[in-house]
Amino acid sequence: MYAQSLSWLLLAPFLLSLAAFAMRWAGKRSIWLAELIHLVSITAVLLLSMHVVQGVLAQGSISALNDWLHVDALAAVFVTIVGVVGFLVGVYALGYIRHDLSSGVLQPQQVTLFYGLLNLFLFTMLLVVVSNNIIMMWVAVEATTLGSAFLVGIYGQRASLEAAWKYVIICTVGVAFGLYGTILVYSDAVHFMKEPGMAILWTQIVENAQALDPTILKLAFVFVMIGFGTKAGIFPMHAWLPDAHSEAPSPVSALLSGVLLKCALFVVIRFAIILSRGIGAEFPHLILLIFGALSVTVSTLFMFVQRDLKRLLAYSSVENIGLIVLALGVGGPLGVLAGLMHAVNHSLVKSLMFLTSGNILMKYHTRDLGKIHGMLQAAPLTSLLLLAGGLALAGSPPFNIFISKFSIFSAGMQSGHIWLMLVCLAFLAVAFAALLRVISSSLFGQAPDEMAAGEVQPLTLAPIAVLLVLAITLGLYLPPQIALLLNQAAGIALPPGSVASAPGALLNWLVLP
Amino acid sequence: MSAWILAGILVPFLGGLLVLVIPRWWVKTASQFVALFSAGCSVYVFIAFTAAGKQVQFFDVMRLGNVTLFGLVVDRLSVLIGMAVSVVGFLIVVYSTGYLSAQNREHAEKKIERRYYSFLLLFIGSMAGVVYASTMLGLLVFFELTGVCSWGLIGYYDNEKARRAALKAIITTQVASLGLYAATAYFFAESGSLRLVDMVGLTETAKTVIFIGVLIAGFGKSAQLPFHFWLPDAMVAPTPISAYLHAASMVKVGVYIFARCLSSAGSVPQVIGVVGSVMALLTMLYGFAMYFPQKDFKKLLAYSTITQLAYIFLALSISVFGSQVAFNGGVTHIFNHAFAKSLFFLVAGALSYTTGTRLLPSLRGVIVRMPVIGTSFAVAALAVTGVPPFNCFFSKFSIFAGGFEAAQEHPLLLVLVIIAMVESIGSFAWIFWTFSATGLGTPSEEVAAATPLSPAMEYVLITLAVLTLLSGVFASAWIA
Repeated sequence: MYAQSLSWLLLAPFLLSLAAFAMRWAGKRSIWLAELIHLVSITAVLLLSMHVVQGVLAQGSISALNDWLHVDALAAVFVTIVGVVGFLVGVYALGYIRHDLSSGVLQPQQVTLFYGLLNLFLFTMLLVVVSNNIIMMWVAVEATTLGSAFLVGIYGQRASLEAAWKYVIICTVGVAFGLYGTILVYSDAVHFMKEPGMAILWTQIVENAQALDPTILKLAFVFVMIGFGTKAGIFPMHAWLPDAHSEAPSPVSALLSGVLLKCALFVVIRFAIILSRGIGAEFPHLILLIFGALSVTVSTLFMFVQRDLKRLLAYSSVENIGLIVLALGVGGPLGVLAGLMHAVNHSLVKSLMFLTSGNILMKYHTRDLGKIHGMLQAAPLTSLLLLAGGLALAGSPPFNIFISKFSIFSAGMQSGHIWLMLVCLAFLAVAFAALLRVISSSLFGQAPDEMAAGEVQPLTLAPIAVLLVLAITLGLYLPPQIALLLNQAAGIALPPGSVASAPGALLNWLVLP
Repeated sequence: MSAWILAGILVPFLGGLLVLVIPRWWVKTASQFVALFSAGCSVYVFIAFTAAGKQVQFFDVMRLGNVTLFGLVVDRLSVLIGMAVSVVGFLIVVYSTGYLSAQNREHAEKKIERRYYSFLLLFIGSMAGVVYASTMLGLLVFFELTGVCSWGLIGYYDNEKARRAALKAIITTQVASLGLYAATAYFFAESGSLRLVDMVGLTETAKTVIFIGVLIAGFGKSAQLPFHFWLPDAMVAPTPISAYLHAASMVKVGVYIFARCLSSAGSVPQVIGVVGSVMALLTMLYGFAMYFPQKDFKKLLAYSTITQLAYIFLALSISVFGSQVAFNGGVTHIFNHAFAKSLFFLVAGALSYTTGTRLLPSLRGVIVRMPVIGTSFAVAALAVTGVPPFNCFFSKFSIFAGGFEAAQEHPLLLVLVIIAMVESIGSFAWIFWTFSATGLGTPSEEVAAATPLSPAMEYVLITLAVLTLLSGVFASAWIA
């Protein structure tokens, strides 16, 4: 039953995206029908992904299509991210695209194209996280580029086309490195597998990781790190990210930043697991620590000098991906758990912020922070969301990012990387200052004179509010199912036998009177 | 008892959210009730604690596995300071309902701003959280929350200057708070626990690292050198906010977390005492030197706060050398100074409310024209400078007594204590001179043209003046 859900989880968005493309020829009702198809598709993805996650909680893992698809707890964490964030962003997109349509930025045909591409994009991301075939994993990552590049360039403006072009070029070149890494692992595994076809399956490779050649593994991991790291937006391969994130329509930015980066990172984690089973965790940890620390330090400085709201948020994504990579590099039960928790938390908060930036864009018609002032008067509800979301992103309690950031630093100190953690902490203060400056200058001050008070699209506020509620809830309370899932996921990412010692092994929050 | 403490923390949080949605004309009343409730909770805890024989109690509130994330501690320190911050908090809310009105001659407010009361109530809740927290993580969480609320309150007037001052305040304290952040993470990594009492078992080196972190955070929040510069700028805040944040609560967070860690850590490395007392002395001298050029009443009070906080740091640092008297002196000084300095700020607020200015040279003859404000002014000036029988005399006396006690074994401390005493006399002279120049004499033009004070503000001034007179004896007798 769960295996069927898994197949449908992929089929539904794929077929419905084709249907949405076809609505181009549906005449007068095309937009209305495309919206309906889109809504059905994201709802299906949400429900099916929840069902799959439930299955993983019930029976440990789910496989389908001759083991080509495989969802364990680790993948289930990312399936949850795609399902939940995908749904909320999808709902938001309805209001946002209607506004674009009514203000003439998009043509009706483009709207059907948008919904088709958006669901295709969701499909490719789901394919990345559920595939067990490492070559298909690579194919899926490439496919996410193709699906989202057209979304980035959908406005057809000079700047957005340039951003889309840059995105395609850098990511396909980057991910090609990922292919080398993937093929290296495959060709090495093929030598000793009883059945050559098995060498392509991640689950088989992991079981036989000890037999792989250590030098080839190291080489492959460096390729994978550079290749899929490009897609994940890790410094110094992040160059495509600020352009693509800022030029894309805001719901797409939210998906790129909130979900896509995590999916690419997921592939890196998969390969890091192969390495740690095969040759021990030291080498992947070192690589991850270096890239993570570099991403955190450099991106925070970039954040501080940005004058464009969405570019600033994009650099903040580099920072947070860096933090996750840092946590994985620190390793240990707490480190991995904190890293995965941060992946979930950052998905929620960053998509919240990008959606809010969409609302600001609708109101002010600019992303220039020098021109966005007086939101408290102009758009009180959006300004409240910006305030809460900005504080959450900056890592202020009681929001979820505070908890995961703190856990990352505790894990780092525990594993003896005290100085590295202190340096990264100092850079996080820069990020805090940058975000607070944004909040301060946009909320306060004088709104432009001709601007009337009120929200542009009240429909768009609900999904953002839901994201905010999720962010606060996860900051105060970790529901047992999520805790269990994260715990099992950390167990997969760690060497066997080390789960029981995880400080969060019994993730029960007791509230005493 | 834990339920009352939790209510004292959570009800202001809920109230802070509530005032954002209820009809505008209920905002003031609702805020006062919420603050009154929080104050009532802390007074109840105080009475219950005293009746139960002052037994230290711990309550775990949130746990993750076997790690206590957040808990409450009820001891002499938390109960006493908890009462001060919440009672002053309530008085400030009452005062604000009068101050933020159309009758205010310095900053007339035409409509009731939800934002103000929301942040203020959130602040009261966060402050109660800091005070009763029994874990390092609890201290950190509420430490940061007070920072965020202070940003909203300092920048309340929403002009360029206020925005800059608010950003400066939060970024400075945030940078300093990295000390606490790192100390908490390090503490957790070393001991596997977040409860402060588990600090006892740590090595000297680990304690030194943690205390250095705590001191950095404390220096930031309590506006000590080298992080002092945000406080004088933050005087652009509405005066009731200055009275609460920059006299009673926010700046006390720094000294409080230091005191809390000292009281939980058992033996503390002496190097912490040396660092703390030397920095305190430097800050004290700096703050004193900055008294003289000040024309703005509130700026003068800001520098006075900086030096008074330095006294508390000095007292707590001296206690590292084994003087319980100095520790008690420091803690009671947190308590006493909260009342006295808030009163002082509120007097400044009352003057700008009635006369439209707070520039010292244009104020003269306050006591003749406005006896309530003038008398409160006199009480505040005498109390802050430590004249008996006002409250700060008692706590300062304990600080110096503790200093002399500790100096018997560490002669160098004697020098510090004597310098501090000289500073004390100097600041008495200067503040008293300021009082006689502005309080006495024939009323100046501005003072003569003063409008009447609102009743809410008048009651608060009188209440605080009485509390200032009585709290010293009370606190010293209670804590011993």
